[in-house]
Amino acid sequence: MDTAVTDRSNRLSVTKLGGKMVADYWANVFTARERGEKVVWYNGSAVNPFFQAAGLVWCHGEAFSARLAAQHLEQPAQLAAQEYGYVGELCSYARTHLGCAVLTQNAGHANGTGIVGLPEQAELASRLPAPDFFVNAYAGCSTGQQWDDISFRVFGKEVPIFNVSLPFLWGNKPDAGYLIGEEWEQASRYVVGQLHELVRFIETMTGRPFDWDALRQNMAYIKQASQLRREAMALCAHAPTPATFWDWITSIAHINFLPASQELVDYFAAVKAEVEQRLAEGVPAVRDERYRVYFDGFMNWNKLGFLARKFAAHDVAVIAGRYTHQAFWQEPHLIDPENPITGMAQHYLLCPTNHGAKTIKHLVLRDCEQYGVDGIVFHSTRTCRAFTNPQHLIAKAAQRELGIASMFFEGDVADASFYKDEILESRLAAMLEGIDVRRARGGVVPV
Amino acid sequence: MTHYLGVDLGSTTAKTVIVNDTGRIVAAEVVQMGAVSRASLARAMTSALEAAGLDESEIAETIATGYGRRLVPGAGRTFTEITCHARGVAAMCPGTRLVIDIGGQDSKAILVDELGIVEDFAMNDRCASGTGRFFEVLARAIECDIGELADLALSGNRDLEVSSMCATFAETEIISLLARGERREDIAASVHRAVAARTLGLVAQVGRHTPVVMTGGVARNAASVHFVAQALDVPVSVPDTPQITGAFGAALLARESFRGHQIEADGQAGTHRAAPPPDCATCDPAHAGMDPGPDGRPLIPVRPR
Repeated sequence: MDTAVTDRSNRLSVTKLGGKMVADYWANVFTARERGEKVVWYNGSAVNPFFQAAGLVWCHGEAFSARLAAQHLEQPAQLAAQEYGYVGELCSYARTHLGCAVLTQNAGHANGTGIVGLPEQAELASRLPAPDFFVNAYAGCSTGQQWDDISFRVFGKEVPIFNVSLPFLWGNKPDAGYLIGEEWEQASRYVVGQLHELVRFIETMTGRPFDWDALRQNMAYIKQASQLRREAMALCAHAPTPATFWDWITSIAHINFLPASQELVDYFAAVKAEVEQRLAEGVPAVRDERYRVYFDGFMNWNKLGFLARKFAAHDVAVIAGRYTHQAFWQEPHLIDPENPITGMAQHYLLCPTNHGAKTIKHLVLRDCEQYGVDGIVFHSTRTCRAFTNPQHLIAKAAQRELGIASMFFEGDVADASFYKDEILESRLAAMLEGIDVRRARGGVVPV
Repeated sequence: MTHYLGVDLGSTTAKTVIVNDTGRIVAAEVVQMGAVSRASLARAMTSALEAAGLDESEIAETIATGYGRRLVPGAGRTFTEITCHARGVAAMCPGTRLVIDIGGQDSKAILVDELGIVEDFAMNDRCASGTGRFFEVLARAIECDIGELADLALSGNRDLEVSSMCATFAETEIISLLARGERREDIAASVHRAVAARTLGLVAQVGRHTPVVMTGGVARNAASVHFVAQALDVPVSVPDTPQITGAFGAALLARESFRGHQIEADGQAGTHRAAPPPDCATCDPAHAGMDPGPDGRPLIPVRPR
């Protein structure tokens, strides 16, 4: 049960307009077959610039699962997956997308699936065009790495598959650290080699030479878009913040998988312009911001608008998060548009679940300091152990090193049944009471 | 004399405490509920007022806590059980560092700092395991009154494996243990151990600090306290009336809130930093938290919400 909340949030208007870009992208995916285009299904890292350069239509599995969940249309796909035999504890991104694979397979068959009696809702879930091939490039999650392998089996092992293997960055060698050390250099070289293999695979699939100039152009656009995004994010160190985590969540699709283009650059230029305008005019993203918190965890896509309103109702501005700020071309200086492969390989390694706890602590605490947060909200994503594994270590480190309080609530990326509103409500209230106390005691005192 | 009301509307009981200007408890009531209801709440509030010989108009400030806190009429504001239990314990047993509160449907480990205010907390996250509901399941399954559980559990001597993860499946396990011919005493002891193990997991999240005080309705169960102490390997104290700790804390917060919308942290607790562990057998909640302490102590702002 969700509690009713008054809307005190003030989300960026430009991100609302960005919704059309996302809708247009998916409409283009759904109609790919009608245009005679080849379709690739992929998961994990943003390898889509390769597909774009090769003239393919690309479908990111997690993204489609998230979209279904955000539209509350995930259930038919999840039921189809369960009917097929996948358990409810499986990553709900994977479960939803595998259900889509089942529905896509069954589309046009008279018998369909047995238990899924939601034809209207199932309609969207079954609209993905079947893939011509798969590419998996999943970092830091063993489920993700097997996910497309299972989709491959759903389609009768008749669709080619390529797997980009992304080593975990343990970060425990003496010289290891974020973006430094032999482990980082070695892993980068290893992935670069595979990306060249991926290009050869794509050439085989398309029957055409790969267009390297197109890839360079794509990465030039992405670099510009990423720089604008990061600059806009950095402006949120101001209090009250002009934009929130929820705005960056709404813009994930754009930076993660929409086509690299001038339109993409223009979108993030508009985001930054609106953030700047708000700063100049003193317009806050949350009416009466009193608390600034960091959000650690994947997005609970079923609850995006609800959570934005709920936190704002408590005068809480959610400023930043590991999911939004430590992913999605977040280090644009690594991208060299003229020689893009190394920078791309490195970003594929920089998934927020692909670091050892030491690096994750470093990144989260660094963001907490940069954005001046009072507390951390941990979304304990029920079906994602990759993200949740280090969370208690981060919480203890934040308390010990920065004196920052934290709270945990359970939910999930695409399965609403794991979210319990009273759990979030009571823990959030308790953390805010604790923050009041700390402030009254004259500031944060590390233990 | 001015009076203040604290209400803790939990999942199975409604608790009300009235304190006077000095923080002394003048009335406390616990009403068993079938479910969270306004009728039970009204009964608990009326009983407390009658016991104190007061009219509702004589209550200067009310603060509510517990899952039903939003139902409480006339509450100036609400606080979570975490803050209220910490406040109540700080007054009842100064110097306490770790509060274990096991209520009807949730359990908490609350780390309280030297000044008696919340430093960190952890709560059960998924189900009723490790809560009072777990013991209700046990009593029903082995067909005994919930009041008999402690004696049964303390006389058990075999350690049977019982799940600590899910109250529903634990019931299935209990039935299967009974069918296997296991003694009720051993089953009861094993379920208490499972709850203690679950509690240990919560304590691990905030750190094992001492002295430890257990609150909530389950703290009245001597076996529960025994097995928690055994699992933690430290003594665990219990206030005389552990069920009202949250309501008492709420009443103290109401009193402090009324005094200029500032809540005074328990400044006394700081002076007890070197004090021995609380002896709650001698701790009289009626006399706890009486003196407001000197000016200049840390203040907790109370914002109307």
